[in-house]
Amino acid sequence: MAGSWVDAILAAGAVPASYVPDASAGRTDLEEFTGADLVEDAELRTRSVADARPLSPGAVGFLDGIEQWRVVGYGGVTPIVRGYVAAAVRRRGPDRRLRTGSELSRELAVTRLASLAAPVRRALETCGVDVVEFAAEDAGQPARAIQAARRELERARLALERALAERCLAGLGPDEWLVVDGVLSDSVALSAHPRAVGVIKSHGAQYFEGAELERALTLPAGHRTSVFEPRSRGARRAIYSWYLRFWPWEGNDLLYGLVRVEARAHPDTLARASALSAWLERERSPLSTPDARWDRLLYPIHDVETYLRSRAPRDLLSPPGSRLPRTGS
Amino acid sequence: MIQHREPTPIGRVVATELKPATPHQFHFWTANETTIGIGAIVKVEGPRVGDQGPGRIVFGVVTDGFAYSDLATPLHDVVGAEGDPAKAAESPTVRQEIRLWTAAVLRQHPEEPLQPVPLGAVYVASDADVAQALRMDAYVAGAQPTGIPVGLYTAAGLEAPVYLDADFLLGPEAAHLNISGVSGLATKTSAVEFLLASIFQHFPAHKGRIAALCFNVKGPDLCFLDRPGPLDDADRRRYERLGLTPQPFARVRYYAPCKADGVNLNTLRTHPDLVGDVEPLVWGLAEVLDFAEVLLNRDDIDAKADAFIDFLSDRVLNKEFDDGFGGSHRVQSFADLDGLFRAIFDGLELSGRSDMWRTHHIATIRKVRNRLSNISTRCKGLVTDDGPSNDLPWGRFEDRTVYVVDVANVDPLGQDLVFARAVSKLREHLERRDLGVEAVVVFVDELNKYAPGDGPETYVRKMLLDISERGRYLGLVLFGAEQFRSQVHRRVVGNAGTTLFGRMDADELATPGYHVLSPAIKIKLATLPIGELMLRHPHFTQPIFVRFPRPAVLRGRDGVERFPPSADLPFEEAVVRQLVRLDRRIRPNQVKDLIAERRPDDVRRALAAVRRTRPDDALACFRRMLGVRVAPAAAPAREAVPPLNPISEEPY
Ligand SMILES: Nc1ncnc2c1ncn2[C@@H]1O[C@H](COP(=O)(O)OP(=O)(O)OP(=O)(O)O)[C@@H](O)[C@H]1O
Ligand SMILES: [Mg+2]
Repeated sequence: MAGSWVDAILAAGAVPASYVPDASAGRTDLEEFTGADLVEDAELRTRSVADARPLSPGAVGFLDGIEQWRVVGYGGVTPIVRGYVAAAVRRRGPDRRLRTGSELSRELAVTRLASLAAPVRRALETCGVDVVEFAAEDAGQPARAIQAARRELERARLALERALAERCLAGLGPDEWLVVDGVLSDSVALSAHPRAVGVIKSHGAQYFEGAELERALTLPAGHRTSVFEPRSRGARRAIYSWYLRFWPWEGNDLLYGLVRVEARAHPDTLARASALSAWLERERSPLSTPDARWDRLLYPIHDVETYLRSRAPRDLLSPPGSRLPRTGS
Repeated sequence: MIQHREPTPIGRVVATELKPATPHQFHFWTANETTIGIGAIVKVEGPRVGDQGPGRIVFGVVTDGFAYSDLATPLHDVVGAEGDPAKAAESPTVRQEIRLWTAAVLRQHPEEPLQPVPLGAVYVASDADVAQALRMDAYVAGAQPTGIPVGLYTAAGLEAPVYLDADFLLGPEAAHLNISGVSGLATKTSAVEFLLASIFQHFPAHKGRIAALCFNVKGPDLCFLDRPGPLDDADRRRYERLGLTPQPFARVRYYAPCKADGVNLNTLRTHPDLVGDVEPLVWGLAEVLDFAEVLLNRDDIDAKADAFIDFLSDRVLNKEFDDGFGGSHRVQSFADLDGLFRAIFDGLELSGRSDMWRTHHIATIRKVRNRLSNISTRCKGLVTDDGPSNDLPWGRFEDRTVYVVDVANVDPLGQDLVFARAVSKLREHLERRDLGVEAVVVFVDELNKYAPGDGPETYVRKMLLDISERGRYLGLVLFGAEQFRSQVHRRVVGNAGTTLFGRMDADELATPGYHVLSPAIKIKLATLPIGELMLRHPHFTQPIFVRFPRPAVLRGRDGVERFPPSADLPFEEAVVRQLVRLDRRIRPNQVKDLIAERRPDDVRRALAAVRRTRPDDALACFRRMLGVRVAPAAAPAREAVPPLNPISEEPY
């Protein structure tokens, strides 16, 4: 049925379009100062992980998701977006090779039904595709509508990832860990699990100020900060977190090679923060180049993404050609 | 009940704009651990088109392989390992990597319309697939099969027999075989021995009788073809798989010239148990004059010398001839001929006449005399000065018989003469259809010596070119072997319908003749294990690798250990030995008494006469012959050998 609903809405009078808006995907961190409570030291310190014995789990699952989208039509000025979200866990055993454990994907249409002409709306409602609506107040302006559609898609992806993560946790072996690309704190199951780790590459949220912020952001390579607990906001669960630097930032940028790690809010986490960090540091190799975020992107996560992209519907990829007006067929 | 399982694909065809699939080539990937390798035959099944049954089927042979990972640049591996190669192996994750293969198309089904290879699933070829891929289905089955087993295709855990088509190996459609490769590892001689055995067992009945004439040019190489050699179980299994019985050649006739003493044989097959069936090869003046052209190198071939030789054969040989100075000659031997020459020179000198004798300039006469006396000294033992000859059984060749002519120790001039005469005789009899067999394989080892790509034009090379270009219509088939194919005349190798390559020399592979081969195939050829060959045959659109079993005959090297050649016998003993061979009742002392005080020449002559007449009482005959001067056999009317086509000057 992939995409066949697009034909149905076009037949019902929607004007065809083919447009992939520029947008950065990826799980975003909160984008403001929230504050944090230190759990390890009296004030934020930096600690070398060089001497810690790295954790070496027998098996590790790596979870990541992707979203792909395209504006496929307009009903009036209301965009109708075709979206595709997918998530997978790739498992690494003793042979050090990655194999797909489980995966989920979903195709959806994102629009505002009430803003569409009746035949187009009916076509969408009857052709069996999942329809996700953005808010009425975003529907009027196409630029806002597209941003809203993107947020809906991201939400759908996060939900898919969460569902997959929870399913995966249920089957996790005693010596098996799950590494998630992004935060754990938006899932009850993930944030409570003893062997789940979140690795966050983007640093929108600020947990510190002043000297502590400086200490966090100028962390030397091979070091981590003290463990802290971000102040919870909204639906977020309690979690322990710390910063970890993979590569020296001097000569690059403050955030170069800097990740934030999340793990269960539990004394055990405190006890093995260094061991966990040392393990993650080992995951720097192999490099995940040519991805531009290779300084923070773990190779297995990169691998999950490559895997998912290779399985996404071909017709959702950006067209290689130009956006010249269509001719002929 | 045995479940018939669907075969599982081992790969997928992939095509990109930069590496597209074409009608003649495609690329596919496999798991990292796979049985596929260079030379493996695979089958591609295209997707079904609607309900029109199975899709396009393509057979291909793997010509190249690539492995790579998603590593963007080697530098990133260094960075990831922090410059320490030992650390690189400690990475917690192994990078994604690919085994990508390139295959050349062998056959497509349907053949028309010819289209690019479909992007389908790839399977290991089965026995039946191999037969189809190589188009062997057309000639191995059917009412008059013409398949000749040549070896086993062994790849991807499969062992499938590969057959040559007799119509394309031995004529008339195509013919000739060439094999090249480095010494000792390429198994050239062994491969030819094996293939000859296979031909003798599988030459189709409707094509008649076949024999082989092998020139032994290297040590004991072909001296023990009638003796069994050791085979291991793996080889026995291969013979069985190929439908062949491993056995030495049942009928082998050995010919070798004598040594200079005229009684000991010039071969390594002189062990007392074996020497009995070696026939001496002895030619007289008549045999030599027929091929006198051989004796003259290219610069010498002037019309004048030619005309004088013709004059000798037509007007002088075996005729009463008046020298014009009052002498009469009946020239039957080299000795007689020399008498004539002396008479001519003396006559001219005495009479103080001009430098001309019967329209022939004295310089020409001297030159021809030099050449002829040269051969009778250089090839003493092959050429008798005097007395009867003993030749191959022209007109009485027998089916499935190998005639081995041992010229390994003969002077190059003599070798040329043997080649020239033997091959011309074959050609002459095959043309008249009275050789005794319908087809003959002529095996010439060290072809680079006899048909070199450069150097002066020689009669032997001309003759080998002639077989290469015209032999297939006559049933005259050349099997040639050499180390370096690039050193053999292009039209000789070019006309070989079937080509085999054993382990090759890397420098040789770098010469222009091999540029069509992929780098991987070249590497495979340069490291080919003993017993494996690369094979080109008209039905196969791509070279195929096969493995053949050790020939079931005793290797030359082992033969001389098992049957050490006996030391040359003193003249008397050698004569005794030869006579005893003819008549077991003869006692050595009887012979010794007879030949004491006799001139060796007279003894040799008598011996040859006895050999020729094969009387019931050899000793009596020998005694009789010693008493008289034995004339050479009355030469039969000289049969004109059709001239070879003149060497074409066209550049090739
Ligand atoms: N099918 C085979 N399997 C294994 N070994 C073999 C096979 N055929 C031949 N050999 C061995 O390989 C060796 C070389 O063989 P052979 O003499 O035929 O090589 P060649 O190419 O003719 O060498 P040269 O150029 O010196 O004449 C021999 O020792 C022989 O026993
Ligand atoms: Mg040899």
